[in-house]
Amino acid sequence: MRKVAIVGVGMIPFGRYESESLVEMLAMPALRAMDDAGIGDRAVDALYVGNMAAGMFNHQSAVASALADYLALLPAAADTIENGPASGGSAIKNGLLAVASGYYDLVLVVGGEKMRDVIGPRATDTVATMTHPTAEYIYGVTLPSLAGMFTRLYMEKYGVTERHLAQVAIKNHNNGLLNPYAHIHASITQEGILDSPHSVVNSPIVSDPLRLYDCCPVSDGAAALLLCPAEMVAEFKKPKVVIAGFGQATDTQTVQEREDPTDLKAVRLAAQQAFAMAKQTPRDVDLAELHDAFTILEIAESEHAGFFKKGEGARALEEGRTRIGGDLPINPSGGLKARGHALGGTGVAQVAELVWHLRGEAGQRQVKGAEVGFSLNFGGFGNNVTAFVLRREA
Amino acid sequence: MKELVAYRCKKCGLIMYPKHGRCLRCKAREFEPFEAEGDARLITYTDNQTLPWGIDDRQRFLGIVEFANGVKAMGWLKVATPKLGMKLKPHWEPVRVMGGEDVYGLVLRQGK
Repeated sequence: MRKVAIVGVGMIPFGRYESESLVEMLAMPALRAMDDAGIGDRAVDALYVGNMAAGMFNHQSAVASALADYLALLPAAADTIENGPASGGSAIKNGLLAVASGYYDLVLVVGGEKMRDVIGPRATDTVATMTHPTAEYIYGVTLPSLAGMFTRLYMEKYGVTERHLAQVAIKNHNNGLLNPYAHIHASITQEGILDSPHSVVNSPIVSDPLRLYDCCPVSDGAAALLLCPAEMVAEFKKPKVVIAGFGQATDTQTVQEREDPTDLKAVRLAAQQAFAMAKQTPRDVDLAELHDAFTILEIAESEHAGFFKKGEGARALEEGRTRIGGDLPINPSGGLKARGHALGGTGVAQVAELVWHLRGEAGQRQVKGAEVGFSLNFGGFGNNVTAFVLRREA
Repeated sequence: MKELVAYRCKKCGLIMYPKHGRCLRCKAREFEPFEAEGDARLITYTDNQTLPWGIDDRQRFLGIVEFANGVKAMGWLKVATPKLGMKLKPHWEPVRVMGGEDVYGLVLRQGK
């Protein structure tokens, strides 16, 4: 297999896009990634678009074909990749394998979702269609409610508290203030979201024990990457950042069938695969972008990915180790909590963030001297997870 | 309860709900259907206060339970104050309207 590099990165601020169509919105970061690499009019061999539910949100299917046409990439190969909220990670995987195999040289990966074309309860319902149709969906289960059930067990087993959850939210909102692409630019305090009598209004229960500020926003947003073989990097104008490792694993569709519902087996396996391929360990990682769709997930994923022992993620958070400036900054972008969560866009946005840090281009939120980054994109409620290790090379 | 049918692998005995095409443990393809029986013990729950489109309730307690014969399932808890480990009685009742028709599922209550 050939080593694969990322030579172009593009993103648009997450939030709400009212005047652009889905394809116009996806095209913006794609063009930025092409310009970032400086490919000019050079042909792109293939396009992979990570998108979960344009059919339901935007009444549009075959999104990759439409984007290839809009961007005049024709006759490039084009595929839409759907893997729930990990669609972005899976789209990168497809691009990675296509280049690594030697079949294509220049591959554009775009991830995005335009969720705010529908009202909140519709978006909640669309996301809930990932659950089992007769064993889960019919009850009105939502992803926040699966996370609520998981959180209750995790608190019971590992002593995680509401205060720890609030600390994740506060940290990631502070990071989001430094990120011009973040959906939410708002500082929050523990008093405002947890301790004061007003907290029940400021941060009402969504699905207990999770409150509003434990949950990511519903975002429009998109990001893009341009991939090529590592030996071609010199043809472009950017430092060499390679996808050193990749992993993907699945788990039972329903949470109830897991022997231990607090064990995120797919996270553990995907991370192990990615580290093994990269020939690196969690100790080598300078920053991580984890899938904090719910605050509990940042803590649980940091343990399952191997950064901290089980039950010690919350302590690492308390000690400030996961802040920018700590020994393992987690979600310097603001994470899904503040940068936003645009389903198919998230996995690509996570990797774009890593590339900026590894190049030294992350502005105020830059993790100094970053050489190795890790990202984790969590599909379903942990039933299909992708992980990447990125490395800057000379 | 006869409405909640689980599956026992004929080769290794693993209990599965919902149905699978192959056993999650030994990959065998033959299963014995059987009914969830006995009281259900509450493993975890949540108070869902942001229900999706298509459900008009203000809130619902949802939980995962384990029946006395080992079947695990999600259900709607119609109890005032859920507690981890509490014993609940299963019922099969409408839980959602879809396409204009009632969809039945597992409802759990205290007492009979």
